[in-house]
Amino acid sequence: MIVAERKPLSEIRGFVEDYHRLLIVGCGTCATVCLAGGEAEVKVVASGLRISFLRDGKEVEILESCVTRQCEPEFVEPLKEKVLDEAVEAVVSLGCGVGVNFLAQTLETVPVFPGVNTKFFGAAVEPGVWVEMCAGCGNCILHLTGGICPIARCSKSILNGPCGGSRDGKCEIDPEIECGWALIVERMKRLGTLDKLEEILPPRDWSTSRHGGPRKVTHQEVAAVGPQQGEGEP
Amino acid sequence: MSEQLPVAEEETTYAPCTASCPVHTDTRQFVECIVEGRYEDALELLLDANPFSSVCGRICHHPCEQSCRRAKVDAPVGLMRLKRFVMEATREYRASRRKAMDVARDGRRIAVVGSGPSGLTAARDLARGGFKVVVFERDPMPGGLLGHAIPRYRLPYAVVKEDIDDILSLGVRLETGVEVGKDLRIDDLFEEGFASVLIATGLSESRALAVSGIDSRGVLLALPFLRAVLSPQPPTLGDSVVVIGGGNVAVDVARSARRLGAQRVTMVCLESRSKMPAWQWEIEETEEEGIHIMDSWGPAAVFNEDGAVRGLELKRCTAVFDAEGRFNPEFDMSDTATVVADNVVLAIGQRGDLTCLEGSRVEGEDGRIGWEGETLATSAPGVFACGEVVTGQGSAVEAVFDGHRAAAAIAHYLATGDLLQQPAMELPHIGDLPDEVAAKVKTLSPVAVSSRPAEERVEDFAEIERGFTEAEALAEARRCMACTTGALVDEAKCAACLTCVRICPFGVATVDQTAAMPRDECQACGLCAAQCPAAAIALKRFGTNQMKERVQGLVAELKRSDSSEPLIVSYCCLFEMTGRDFIRRAQQEYPQRGVLPVMVPCVARLSVADMLGPFEVGAEGLVIIACSEDGCLYPTAEQRLLARVRSAKGVLAEIGLEPERIDYWKTEGSAEVSWRAFWALSRRKLSRMLTAGEEDRE
Repeated sequence: MIVAERKPLSEIRGFVEDYHRLLIVGCGTCATVCLAGGEAEVKVVASGLRISFLRDGKEVEILESCVTRQCEPEFVEPLKEKVLDEAVEAVVSLGCGVGVNFLAQTLETVPVFPGVNTKFFGAAVEPGVWVEMCAGCGNCILHLTGGICPIARCSKSILNGPCGGSRDGKCEIDPEIECGWALIVERMKRLGTLDKLEEILPPRDWSTSRHGGPRKVTHQEVAAVGPQQGEGEP
Repeated sequence: MSEQLPVAEEETTYAPCTASCPVHTDTRQFVECIVEGRYEDALELLLDANPFSSVCGRICHHPCEQSCRRAKVDAPVGLMRLKRFVMEATREYRASRRKAMDVARDGRRIAVVGSGPSGLTAARDLARGGFKVVVFERDPMPGGLLGHAIPRYRLPYAVVKEDIDDILSLGVRLETGVEVGKDLRIDDLFEEGFASVLIATGLSESRALAVSGIDSRGVLLALPFLRAVLSPQPPTLGDSVVVIGGGNVAVDVARSARRLGAQRVTMVCLESRSKMPAWQWEIEETEEEGIHIMDSWGPAAVFNEDGAVRGLELKRCTAVFDAEGRFNPEFDMSDTATVVADNVVLAIGQRGDLTCLEGSRVEGEDGRIGWEGETLATSAPGVFACGEVVTGQGSAVEAVFDGHRAAAAIAHYLATGDLLQQPAMELPHIGDLPDEVAAKVKTLSPVAVSSRPAEERVEDFAEIERGFTEAEALAEARRCMACTTGALVDEAKCAACLTCVRICPFGVATVDQTAAMPRDECQACGLCAAQCPAAAIALKRFGTNQMKERVQGLVAELKRSDSSEPLIVSYCCLFEMTGRDFIRRAQQEYPQRGVLPVMVPCVARLSVADMLGPFEVGAEGLVIIACSEDGCLYPTAEQRLLARVRSAKGVLAEIGLEPERIDYWKTEGSAEVSWRAFWALSRRKLSRMLTAGEEDRE
């Protein structure tokens, strides 16, 4: 899941200072699950902004909405109409960065501001606590590392760890952070596959990651199809 | 964003209290009304279901309590006494709301024979349905056995009258002193233009017993005896009185005899102690009053001296019912006993008096009217029968239920000419509280109301038990676990995030595809609803969902009327009041002093948005008053609430407002004792803060 965290209201307020009609849009999927931008948080942000504007004597109308996922045209399309019909001047998206991008692309002439900081792909390790577990690098090597990702969970993303900064299973950059490589070694010990780590992993081809530019995935079965033969003919 | 709440699926299984009540009183709803101080709403709800609510507040056999799921935790909620409280607290209101329905919408007239609970309930329903109803009663006073048999220490007549006056105020005409079958025949009623006749004459005759010596002087029948007890000249009894019978009437006789001065009162019954038909609590009270119970004995003969009863010979009863479950007692004649008696009262059952059928086409024999159980129709067209005369002995609320059925039967017949089938139906209910949930529910001792001491109460016929005080009623009402009124999930919104599962203090929330809180387990604490990030959960009752708008409306109004005084909204735990007057007065007086008290049924249900809401419309401060130390009903609720308070303060800080504008207090003693002080302290703090803020700006 994508994990995000709401931005401080002072920052959000700064984005929308010059507008008088705002729409706060939540996202009903990842942002809801990580408690950063669901319908309940939309109410909080809207409320906080209203209080803030009221204190400054500014008349600003704030509308609230929440869609199932901000990263799908079908869910976002109705927002386009709403924005138009209700003369919304600016949108604050509480979806992840994808949602903000996608809304911005959809709402061509209306500014869209981020209401959350998109943090990482992670898991809820305990109630209310999420930990990064995947870096989305585009070329999984989890089969080599006991299912624990050195790219995401090692501070240096090194492929042959641990480094000299590993202390009692913790990372040198913060004693709160577990050393990814210590986790990998422990895990592979339990699996009885520690010997696999003897093999040195060669340097990676990072072109599958951000280094190859913005990425795209097409699923041919569902991708748009052209007219079939015979279709469209009289 | 949709503000619609999740909608409850149509209720298909009920709370056991409602399901077991013959008239399906919405028990939890009336208890909620009490908790919220809406006693008048509780009254309306109770009377809708049962026009004899005052009576049933005293003498109901209260199956609701017997099925109350709280029994698994500690003890059932005292629902009957709560009902009595409502009826007592709203007497004046009830009298003021009585308005005769001047013009019946349907001109047709219906005659009801008998003014007991079944007949008068039917009369009430029919009058409400627009018919003109005339009730014929052979006695000078209406009420049936409620008026003529039940001793006043259990049921003062004033209480019966309260209920009856209500019914009569609907335009129901009562003709007392008219005995149908003698003074007037059923056929005459049709000739007089009545469209339908309902026979609801009850069981007004006591059954006699065929044993030798039964005609001795001093042998009495229960109903004439009880009737005489209520008359201006109560019967004179000897020192020793033996009551034959083990049912509730026998208990009434024995306890009345004690109050008339009999020194030794003995109840003799065929049944073993545990099988006695009288209610257990009645038997206990009877024994407290020094009445001796001889169970598993039957009368063999009455012996007398000069024709006056002197005692009874008893034979051991070894079985009351035969293998087919029919009443067919067996005796061991070798095991006998004697008991002395100056009077013997027979309380072995009642039968109907069928005088009313004289000269009519309605068939009936042996005290029973020929009648169909599902249609309530008799053999004569347009004549229906209900209540104990056809159902046999039961309790008052069962008679009320049958009265409702009779009204429905008659209304249907008059509308269509057909008979309405009303098969016996039991409402499905959610069953017992699961053990693992019961173990997590906080125990709360029931509010005890002590009876008058037994030695004092046998001296007179005054009531033996007082009703709840308001504080007691509020405390007892809070014990209701609100079964089946818990969390509802809007599945379209639910993101299956598991927050509810992680937060539920009773461990009952689950997530499969979407969240679910099983109705038979959810304790309606509302913690999941307050925390749900998708705003997908609402409580069926006691929710805070509409509160934000309501409070904002009030604040906006106050800000318009007087903007000089800084305004604090105070969310207060509803469960800490000991009377509604305090909060009513506070809600009247405090807004002018800068505090708007808002009662919340558990402040732990407040979401962060609920806390911020008042600030949006100009409130300067927020006070949250929680319950007293250890007062919260729900595990972890206070910690969860405090975390949300911190979040709300965080939001204020993010927009440059002082987090100290939000104050959190815990009730000390009660609302009446501590809240005014909290409000004063918070107001002073806020004023200082605002003044300091202004100085800083200057």
